[in-house]
Amino acid sequence: MIKTPLCDLLNIEFPILQGGMAWISDAQLAAAVSNAGGLGIISSMNADENWLRSEIQKAKSLTDKPFGVNVMLMNPHVDKIAQVLIDEKVPVVTTGAGNPGKFMKLWIEAGIKVIPVVPSTGLARFSERAGATAVIAEGGESGGHVGEMSTMPLIPQVCDVVSIPVIAAGGIGDGRGIAAALMLGAVGVQLGTRFLVAHETNIHENYKDKIIKAKDIDTTLSGRSLGHPVRSLKTTFSKDFIKAESDPTTPPEVLEEYGRGALRIAAQEGDSQKGCFMAGQIAGMIKEKQSVKEIILTLADETETVLKGGLQWVK
Amino acid sequence: MVLEKVVEILRNYKDEQDLEVTMASTFEELELDSLDTVELVMEIEEAFDTSIEMDGELQTIGDVVTLIEKAIA
Repeated sequence: MIKTPLCDLLNIEFPILQGGMAWISDAQLAAAVSNAGGLGIISSMNADENWLRSEIQKAKSLTDKPFGVNVMLMNPHVDKIAQVLIDEKVPVVTTGAGNPGKFMKLWIEAGIKVIPVVPSTGLARFSERAGATAVIAEGGESGGHVGEMSTMPLIPQVCDVVSIPVIAAGGIGDGRGIAAALMLGAVGVQLGTRFLVAHETNIHENYKDKIIKAKDIDTTLSGRSLGHPVRSLKTTFSKDFIKAESDPTTPPEVLEEYGRGALRIAAQEGDSQKGCFMAGQIAGMIKEKQSVKEIILTLADETETVLKGGLQWVK
Repeated sequence: MVLEKVVEILRNYKDEQDLEVTMASTFEELELDSLDTVELVMEIEEAFDTSIEMDGELQTIGDVVTLIEKAIA
């Protein structure tokens, strides 16, 4: 049994969070993860407050366990989204793509546990000071929008500068990764890519098949020149995008337009010509589609085995 | 002299002692990204033993100096 202080803090059985992935993490996936003992998270992506409210209510109808919502701070509807979270008494909010400072006080006063995703020690310290319950330190091995630091150096350095719990993310796909994250000082983990292939995940089957087929070297970074690099599977789309990006005559707005909607196309239509299949570097480790419950129980079992096995090196 | 202190912190942060900084210098011109800005603002806050709201857009060194001046007034 793997139990850390994060379990009591978030009222969950296993210290495993499911990352909020735009167009992927809906009420069904979040509820399945929470029912299996982890913390499911709905992604509010660029959606408006009405969509989010109905997803939250759907998740409540599917689970009586706590779940969270990820807020993308660049969402044009973010002010209304922030209020819906309070109205619906969402217990946990994770934030990405910006500085949640503006909403922190409001959410904390409403009793919401705020857990920002941070790519550096500075933002981790800043989050702690602003009243964050914990931080998710995410390395650039993860899928989607990534930072520069990788998980191995990021986690211990973040742990050294904050006294709130640290949750590790990026490059974690099995019990070995979870055990390693705990050894680096984290008290929990957030996984995204591993849940892409869950039966409960509402994405096109092509997306899941591509993850299963992926090898270690099959992800790539694009969008560096736009200031927000994205990790995705190598596909016709990503190759074309990188080619256009490396051509200095391509205006940035043309690139932005090219990338717009590409994740939705991947998730809903499974089209590798036009879709951007975001995935982390651990995609190569995923070999089978499983239910969320199987995934979480396997992760917990593996972690326990690895942690116990580690003692063999202590003489 | 808030600006002088801020300039000193900035020069140390960038390890460039002859870095030209004015109130109008933008973080972008100084080649500081959003993560640097957070680090730097926290260093400045610690130096003045105060804190400023980072809610709004901090574009220039002058923005930071003005907020610090208000905070310690």
